Amino acid sequence: MAPLTTPLHSWHTQHGAHMALFGGYDMPLWYGSAKDEHLAVLTHAGIFDTSHMAAVLVDGPAAEDLLQFCFTNDLAACLGPDKAPLRPGRAVYGAFLTAEGHVLDDAIVFMLAAEAYLVVVNAGMGQRVAAHLDRHREQHDVQVHDLSGQFGKMDVQGPMAAHVMRDVLADPDAVFEAMPYFAFKGGIGGTMPACGHVRTRDGTPLLLSRTGYTGEFGFEIFTSADTIVGVWETIMAAGAHYGALPCGLAARDSLRAGAVLPLSHQDIGDWPFCNHPWPFALPYKFGTGDFSKTFLGDTALKTDRAPHTYPFIGENLRKVTPPAEVRDTTGRVIGDVLTCVTDMAIGWHEDRVLSIGSPDAPQGFTPGGLCCGFVRVANPLPLDSRLLLKDQRRGIDVRIVADIRPDRTARKPLPMMLQPKEA
Amino acid sequence: MKELSEINLPEDVRYTKDHEWARKKGETFQIGITDFAQDQLGDIVFVELPEPGDRFESGEEFGTVESVKAVSELFMPMGGEVAAINEALEDAPELVNTAPHTEGWMLELKASDPSEYDQLMDRAAYLDMLKGLEE
Repeated sequence: MAPLTTPLHSWHTQHGAHMALFGGYDMPLWYGSAKDEHLAVLTHAGIFDTSHMAAVLVDGPAAEDLLQFCFTNDLAACLGPDKAPLRPGRAVYGAFLTAEGHVLDDAIVFMLAAEAYLVVVNAGMGQRVAAHLDRHREQHDVQVHDLSGQFGKMDVQGPMAAHVMRDVLADPDAVFEAMPYFAFKGGIGGTMPACGHVRTRDGTPLLLSRTGYTGEFGFEIFTSADTIVGVWETIMAAGAHYGALPCGLAARDSLRAGAVLPLSHQDIGDWPFCNHPWPFALPYKFGTGDFSKTFLGDTALKTDRAPHTYPFIGENLRKVTPPAEVRDTTGRVIGDVLTCVTDMAIGWHEDRVLSIGSPDAPQGFTPGGLCCGFVRVANPLPLDSRLLLKDQRRGIDVRIVADIRPDRTARKPLPMMLQPKEA
Repeated sequence: MKELSEINLPEDVRYTKDHEWARKKGETFQIGITDFAQDQLGDIVFVELPEPGDRFESGEEFGTVESVKAVSELFMPMGGEVAAINEALEDAPELVNTAPHTEGWMLELKASDPSEYDQLMDRAAYLDMLKGLEE
């Protein structure tokens, strides 16, 4: 089968991108330098084509019930420390599970309006997730539409992202008002429900969301498939004034791993979706191991036999290539490596990890990069456990950590990111 | 990604199907990876090389180059004993990206059979092979 392409495919090839197949799409891996692109998201901004991602519209009176049964997060109790219900203009992360508790895909659910949700899933997954939801719809009054191919999507991520978008948007002050992490405004256009209006200066409708998959401050931007190229070019031109670079999937992968975010079908997949660093994707009642709702796959997550997933950091930038095994200090094989990449923005300084974005990094701190990722092991491990990761070529020493790249900006208040940068 | 016409392929080296090159330098041979290989690998952040004195057969793995995303093997164009390694790559692995055929050389080899050099591809043959890969 010929690879699928996004509407930006010819832009990528004309701008010298190294292309590779991902999720059935021919996508840019990097343009000039994956390292520079990774660092740009920490220091300025990076602009990613994410039009390969799929989306499903779920609407109708029973839309919430269907998602409550199929999605792991509790739409009635997911916002903020008080676990308020999801409301229009807010989004939430979670996953769709099989009855066995395995991951069909992870997703962000955007509540567009009462009874209307945009469910954004991974490349090539629109049809499967739509079919899965349709199967569990039963007789309820809810429609499920696979929107694959009907919209374009790009992400602007990094400390200068709000500056870039201020130059692109019509009425940016109104758009930026009350836009915390995981809030969104606007809509894709056409007949789809929208949360108010977000438009570019030339009037193109956008859905602008304070989300992304890099761990850094920024936006995901949705627009229709026939306007994405124009929006991309407008944002690239604005971004050039702020040091923004177009970024490929290599930088996206190393950024998300450093931000302790899973890659679907690699770090989460055909094993129970529990015992992992993403408890916020499950409907835990505060301070308990109990769920606040019942959902597809929930009983399977109560097993004692599910493997445990942990983030790790290496001593330096050197990696292993999966398939690779995880050994404890006695040499016993206890699991396998899910992701192993290099985050080039971090390094050890004395006894802790610093990032080039760390406000307390010493003058002239130049990180050498650190190997990081996720391991899956049979039994629980304490923090700071030392492990050996071994592929067919080499072994590397790593330790289990709670977090990887420090001082990430994703949750910073938007007004703070609009303040002029100190010289 | 570089177009084939943009790939720098010097005339004074011989090439392998694994995208290494060898250059005759007096009694020894200098070894490295080609401009095509570095362009495919992307940013090189670490080069793992053997020790002087180590011996390898032709085609044997002698080290790895590590990009942000992946680790790739390096294969000997010729058999022999490592006479020297390019120590500059320890602090500046990016030399393999910026100057793959010059400052980004990897090691010097005392060949056990210098005639192996003549069996490697010349520039025209290597370029033909690259054209075949593109199709």
